[in-house]
Amino acid sequence: MDVNDVFGTIDIAVSGMRAQGKNMEVISSNVANVRSTDAGKGEPYRRLEAVLKAETDGISSVTVADIAKDMGNFNSIYDPGNPQADENGYVAMPNVNLPIEIMNLNIATRTYQANVAILKRYQQMVETTLELLR
Amino acid sequence: MAETNSVLELLEGGIRAESLRQKAIASNIANLQTPGYRRIDVKFQELLAKALDRSGAVDLEEIKPQIHRPKQTPVKSNGNDVNLEAEVGEMVKNALLHKVYIRLLNRKYSQIELAISGK
Repeated sequence: MDVNDVFGTIDIAVSGMRAQGKNMEVISSNVANVRSTDAGKGEPYRRLEAVLKAETDGISSVTVADIAKDMGNFNSIYDPGNPQADENGYVAMPNVNLPIEIMNLNIATRTYQANVAILKRYQQMVETTLELLR
Repeated sequence: MAETNSVLELLEGGIRAESLRQKAIASNIANLQTPGYRRIDVKFQELLAKALDRSGAVDLEEIKPQIHRPKQTPVKSNGNDVNLEAEVGEMVKNALLHKVYIRLLNRKYSQIELAISGK
């Protein structure tokens, strides 16, 4: 029988919280820039996505492996009066879809809360064990 | 010559390290937004484990808890590397360790009292 690492659970839960925190930062960047027609290089803001990966095979913590750009096509809206419109009157807009971002935000929030719940419950469990020492 | 350490000595060493770590965590959390601040960690368990390996007993005067600043932590754009969730995790672990030490110490003192008073 293996010996458990007492603090392993806590470290894994914290890694989950950090990963979802980063995820939320990426989502908030997408939402804030949903109408940003210029991201500094003449192109609109390109949607970002946090890529999560497990550190090792088996029992493992999670880490944000990469913050990848979504290479889907930009949206384009017809707005001939806009100073940034092209010759056909279309303006290129970020490939961010608000309902999808909100859905991802909900998932990230719930996952973050689940990790916090694990942290709390495990702490209570260890404290109960320590009661035996009273 | 190696002396054996009393349980009290070992527990007291642990408590000193854990109190220092508590201060380090408080400093990290207070400096969550400070540009250029690097988080502080306290090394004790590793030093103790290494020392115990060699002789089976340890001179606790030599193994003092050490403050060190990890160099590999990911850094934010303002040079700060403190992450709130990580510090909360450290706080939880440290609080549990504190409980363990205090209770073991209590048990040890009760045992000594019992030996002295016979009841």
